[in-house]
Amino acid sequence: MLQEKYKTEIDEILSRYPVRRSAMLPLLTMAQREEGYVSEAAMKEIASILRVTPPQVYETVTFYTMLNLKPIGTFHIQVCKSLMCALVGSDSLLVWLQARLGIKPGETTPDRLFTLSTVECLASCGTGPMMQVNDDYYERLTEEKVDRILADLKRDGTSPLKSGPFILPEPEGAHG
Amino acid sequence: MVKLTIDGVPITAPKGTLVIEAARQAGIMIPHFCYHPKLKWDANCRMCLVEIERVPKLQTSCSTPVAEGMVVRTATTAVTQAHKSVLEFILANHPLDCPVCDQGGRCDLQDFSHEYTPTTSRFIEVKRIFPKEYFSALIETQMNRCVQCLRCVRYCDEVMDVKALAPAGRGTMTEIKHFTHHELDCEFCGGCVQICPVGAITSRLSMYEYRPWMLKRADTICTYCGDGCQITIQTKENKLIEVNTAHGAGRNNGDLCARGFFGYHASTHPDRLQHPLVRRNGELVQATWEEALGFVAETCIRLKMEHGAEAFAGLIASRCTNEDLYVFQKFMRLAIGTNRIDSSARYGQINGVRALRRVQGTHRWAVTFEDIVAADALLLVGTNITETNPITGLKVKEAVKKRTATLLTVDALVPAVGTISNIANLAAHHFPVHPDRFGHVVLGLIKAVVEDGLVDQALAHRAPAYVQAIGDAVQALSWPALESATGTTSGALREAARIFARAARGVVLVGQGVLRSPGGYGLTTNLLDLLLLTGQHGRPGCGLAPLAEENNDQGAVEMGTVAEYLPGPCDLNDPTARERIAGLWKEELPKGPGRTLTETLEEARTGKVKAMFVVGENPVGSLPHAARAKDALAQLELLVCQELFLTETAALAHVVLPACSYAEKDGSFTNTEGLVQPVRRAIEPIGESRPDWEILSALSVLMGYPIEYGDAKEILKEIRSLIPGYGLLGAGPNPPRPDEAVVSRYLREGYAEDLANRYAATQPTEKRTGHFTLLVTQSLFHSGKFSTRSTGLLEIQNTGVLGLNPADAARLGVTDGDRVRVSNTLGELTAPIKLLERIPEGLAVFPEHFDEEARRLLGVSTDPQTRVPYCKSAQVVIEKL
Ligand code: SF4
Ligand code: SF4
Ligand code: SF4
Ligand code: FES
Ligand code: FES
Repeated sequence: MLQEKYKTEIDEILSRYPVRRSAMLPLLTMAQREEGYVSEAAMKEIASILRVTPPQVYETVTFYTMLNLKPIGTFHIQVCKSLMCALVGSDSLLVWLQARLGIKPGETTPDRLFTLSTVECLASCGTGPMMQVNDDYYERLTEEKVDRILADLKRDGTSPLKSGPFILPEPEGAHG
Repeated sequence: MVKLTIDGVPITAPKGTLVIEAARQAGIMIPHFCYHPKLKWDANCRMCLVEIERVPKLQTSCSTPVAEGMVVRTATTAVTQAHKSVLEFILANHPLDCPVCDQGGRCDLQDFSHEYTPTTSRFIEVKRIFPKEYFSALIETQMNRCVQCLRCVRYCDEVMDVKALAPAGRGTMTEIKHFTHHELDCEFCGGCVQICPVGAITSRLSMYEYRPWMLKRADTICTYCGDGCQITIQTKENKLIEVNTAHGAGRNNGDLCARGFFGYHASTHPDRLQHPLVRRNGELVQATWEEALGFVAETCIRLKMEHGAEAFAGLIASRCTNEDLYVFQKFMRLAIGTNRIDSSARYGQINGVRALRRVQGTHRWAVTFEDIVAADALLLVGTNITETNPITGLKVKEAVKKRTATLLTVDALVPAVGTISNIANLAAHHFPVHPDRFGHVVLGLIKAVVEDGLVDQALAHRAPAYVQAIGDAVQALSWPALESATGTTSGALREAARIFARAARGVVLVGQGVLRSPGGYGLTTNLLDLLLLTGQHGRPGCGLAPLAEENNDQGAVEMGTVAEYLPGPCDLNDPTARERIAGLWKEELPKGPGRTLTETLEEARTGKVKAMFVVGENPVGSLPHAARAKDALAQLELLVCQELFLTETAALAHVVLPACSYAEKDGSFTNTEGLVQPVRRAIEPIGESRPDWEILSALSVLMGYPIEYGDAKEILKEIRSLIPGYGLLGAGPNPPRPDEAVVSRYLREGYAEDLANRYAATQPTEKRTGHFTLLVTQSLFHSGKFSTRSTGLLEIQNTGVLGLNPADAARLGVTDGDRVRVSNTLGELTAPIKLLERIPEGLAVFPEHFDEEARRLLGVSTDPQTRVPYCKSAQVVIEKL
């Protein structure tokens, strides 16, 4: 139960908004931070905190690709499938990832290491194709780079190829 | 007013009117999906684009208000082109399954496609396909057909305030769901089914059974509660196929509740009585009408000779039509010769009517649904209004949500969001009190009015003695005592009193929690005092509205089928009325007394009453065991029941006569507001059943006192000769003004007789720890005498589940679905439980329609003034099983 564990934080979040319902996204973020995804129990609890119905919380969760409705793997790979990335080959990148991981978008590998998703534009259109893994960006991807990233993640839990997120202008030498 | 032209037609429309509405009023139909006059505009479908002069791009007419001098064109090439492309996009995904879609033939997409699109599409891509998911036993979704207009979602939120539907996902892949993969749990009002412009949400009760053009329609009135919604019953070959209503239709304005929308199959339930039954050798066996009626007439004549007319009594259900009710009392008074008549209006409605008559000389509300919507302050006492009167509840919701009325509520339930509405959630001030303390809150409000100088000046001048007397009475009450009884602060009561007193228009709605509970009559009278003191009485749009539970509770009173009234209603002993009615009937009225339901049962038990006519009423199945109705009726020498089903009462009868349901007859019902509305036959009578009035009329002939009519219309004509203007059909009710002479009499002396009682804050008995108050209440999904025969409603609720507060349940060590034993000195029952946040600690709520067992636990007390039997609550112990 979030309320038992994070009473003060929840109160603080609620105090920020004149309309109670506005606290929905911060509370959902909290729930996801807690369990890695937003569980039904969490949605019900948030509904009761905000005095809305569970369907109203659910519809919000389904709108945001950053909120997961199912438990996810250690690494959540989110491939941009919007227009700019598509023009520079995000679809073949996705095919490559699927082949390497043996899963389709929306699925998790049996070892629970990787979850693959497709998402809309992540605002790195100049450096596509790109993907986000947990909180990190990986840009100007190639098949060979993807293989290295996957290997790094498996071995070290992180990869030096990550590139942000950052705010322009790009820092020197951001892309190895 | 704003002047504009649409397609060259000059139009004037009030400021703020949307172009699409202005066009509609001028007879120009602009195609649309997402717009609906009931909902806030959303402008998400782009179907309603129009050209507006001097605006560079096409505009959505559903979201553009009219402006002075605006020139709108709805049929230019650019507009037609826009229609085409919007439809082309929708059809890129919409499946071509009209042949198997129940909406086919009344589908907006079908109609618009027919009108605006070429028959080919440029899209060759695969269509969007959603995996089919089970949605609910009553409502089917076919998301492949959805045009994503969100009307369903918005209706469920804006109108119903239920918020059960979620548009899940985004973009093309948005689908309408409930909560993740759970099946729908909501009020099942059917509103989403009705408002969906395509076949994406449909009713499973009529799935694949019809094409709209095959159906025969009858506009009639729902029989499940006093709101009196207009419904259209659609039939095919004498089979009930579906019920719906049109936007704008009836007092319900096109909205319904689950009972109205899904409850219709009760009329054709296989258990319907098809033939008369006569008891032979202890068994009820099938007989012909001639045999049955002949037997009844003969026995009546014999018993009348032996014991006189006063050995007879009659009881009728207020679900019957006015025509049935009227003929019933005329039959009892003339053919039999007794005034021992009562009806189910006795269960509560009579408390409201008696209080209104006493204080303001009307037997009806002085307000209408429109006044509820237009009120500035609404006070609801003893009602989670949605559960008994769902549509009146919608008016309250509309007042609060759309018109920003301030809502004050006094009820046992506490605010909590659930799957069905809880009106307290919308309240600015809610006073959650134990059901036997609603009166204390009202006394607190009156005390605050007196002490805080909120008494209406005009009243203070007009009736200083009255104001003084009430002032003295409330001064004698101490705030600490009231605070401890109500668990609230004097500050909160003062604030609520101030809101109500200062409102430009105040309306008080009083529900079953008051009308059917001990002290109901006195408390209703006190609410009228509150209105008088705050100057909210007698002004247009203000007043008291007691909620009628049964569809024709009001008619039952007005037709004179209660112990104290003749048709009118006129007092039974009013000599002028008696003379007038006798003149019209050309027959003397019986001189004997009227007798109420419980008095009659008592007289049957003691053998004073030997014969009873019971029409559609089921005292054995409705009253608690403590009332010993069964013992009483078993004493009778003749019990005649006119019934649809073999109820507990009918099973005791000597003769059971099969009666028609509302769907099989013509007539009228009078709703809670006092509007008389036409009931029309939708199907032929089931089996040999006949309308109740016709049965009584046939009997009267056999008994030698012919009371004959050609049809229901003739009866209404006769009713009109007694009650001028009755049921002259108008669009809305024309509420009576309070009779100032009666008000003056009340202010002068009428108030005084029971003042001390009404203003005594009885020290509520402290509950023993571990004891619960069991409340047996009506649920949203069942009402009246035959909802439990409706397949649709049984899908939603088919057993008695005891509602408990989660904290209480935790203390008892039980959770959802566990069974508990509920007991007191009278008896016990076991039932599964459901945790409900809106039920306060110490309370346990059980649905009255599944109360066969629960009725063992209830005691009965009778109102000293109105003889209403109060039998809806008990003190009990609950244990884990
Ligand atoms: S049937 Fe249920 S989901 Fe549909 S509008 Fe009514 S309450 Fe909402
Ligand atoms: S289900 Fe019907 S009403 Fe709801 S969004 Fe789809 S098309 Fe509109
Ligand atoms: S039960 Fe009452 S509110 Fe529901 S549809 Fe019938 S008349 Fe209307
Ligand atoms: S299109 Fe891929 S990041 Fe914007
Ligand atoms: S009706 Fe205007 S945009 Fe849908």
